[in-house]
Amino acid sequence: MKIALFDYGAGNLHSLGKAIEATDANVTITSSWDEALGLDGLVLPGVGAFGHAARALPADITSIRARLLAGYPCLGICLGMQLLFDASEESDGRGIGLIPGRVRLLAASVVPHMGWNDIETAADPVFEGIQELVAYYANSYVCEPEDSASAIAWSTYEGRRFVAGARAANTWGLQFHPEKSSTAGRRIIANFVRRVRELPSERQASRETGR
Amino acid sequence: MLRPRVIVCLDVKDGRVVKGTQFKNLRDVGDPVELAQRYEQEGADEIVYLDVSASKEARGTLLDVVRRTAETLFIPLTVGGGVRSADDIGPLLRAGADKISVNSAAVRDPELLSVGAERFGSQCVVASIDAARNGDMWRCYTHGGSTPTDLDAVAWAYECAERGAGEILLTSIDQDGARTGYNLPLTAAVSDRVSVPVIASGGAGRAEHLRDAFTEGHASAALVAGILHDGLTTVGELKSRLTAWGIDVRPSGPAEGHER
Repeated sequence: MKIALFDYGAGNLHSLGKAIEATDANVTITSSWDEALGLDGLVLPGVGAFGHAARALPADITSIRARLLAGYPCLGICLGMQLLFDASEESDGRGIGLIPGRVRLLAASVVPHMGWNDIETAADPVFEGIQELVAYYANSYVCEPEDSASAIAWSTYEGRRFVAGARAANTWGLQFHPEKSSTAGRRIIANFVRRVRELPSERQASRETGR
Repeated sequence: MLRPRVIVCLDVKDGRVVKGTQFKNLRDVGDPVELAQRYEQEGADEIVYLDVSASKEARGTLLDVVRRTAETLFIPLTVGGGVRSADDIGPLLRAGADKISVNSAAVRDPELLSVGAERFGSQCVVASIDAARNGDMWRCYTHGGSTPTDLDAVAWAYECAERGAGEILLTSIDQDGARTGYNLPLTAAVSDRVSVPVIASGGAGRAEHLRDAFTEGHASAALVAGILHDGLTTVGELKSRLTAWGIDVRPSGPAEGHER
């Protein structure tokens, strides 16, 4: 099984790649969207600025959005989650727009929101087997989905609750860094990879029952 | 709730972890890759590598150590020491560092902080400040604490944050290695002035010192080194004492968020 790890050209991909490989998946680091959307699944990493990453998107983003809506598995981490939304206050440029909503600057006295924070989670396959989740963040911006039903996790910082995770089809966005969140974080990555492995057979099964 | 962090610092020289007092009398305490992994298992929230190598050749050694560390470490890794320009930042991040700390080079060329933050994001630029009491000011020093500058530590910390540093690593030269506690007035003065997280550094001897850094120093994180490397205490022990005092650090040990 091959997971694409998208390279916007800035930052640390190494430890995220190692965390994915530890689940027995093969990692292909790529800057080509054709390749990224043509393997078994895609991980959008989380380092850099929104504008910089948005410039790495092709002019026609509808094909990416359509592929993800059709169920191609994707995990967006931090900036990678923000890229799933329409736009960001951080910089110009359009996101993929898979999850309707905007990315806004954190309203807090100390920014970036840096360190380990508690996470409330909804029942979702990526959080399976995790009792109490405390995960590592390094973010100045947060996602505000238009439809609160797309949120699957929340954290509170300086008294304000924000969306820590969101989902659409088989795409998950996480504002924290699972690859930096020790044992629990690695479990989340393993859960995602397991979903990637299970999805083709589930799609096959639903096709058969539909016949 | 955001948890106060316990960060373990390893001084790395020519690929080995060393420890001295007030930046002098260095002795070998082990392999960085092994030690970093052990500290993650003990419950450390982050690891800092401070490269204290003098030679240019040591740069390749450091990149190799960072690369090997990132293969087995799944908590954040900050690397500092010897970063001279924005061009030095990219290779360290590519090798597997999450944040880069800059000290002397930022004093020489403050633009380095702005350029680094713009190119890689504020969250990976840490301004490292070494300060000592000097008359009625806390004076900044560069080059491992050996060269005085004209900069006031509180004002300089503010400028670093304004320029895009996402965090301040604040070391008291007077307290470093003394194990009598962090410099609380300095830590509080800087924490209260800037709107980015501050890491207290220099002087940790007991769990009480970490507690005071959080409560009286208003620090977001506390850096610990010597007392751990010498086996005087463990991250787990420090954290359980802090928890008992009502400081909500991230629980240490394998029970938290474990598989099964």
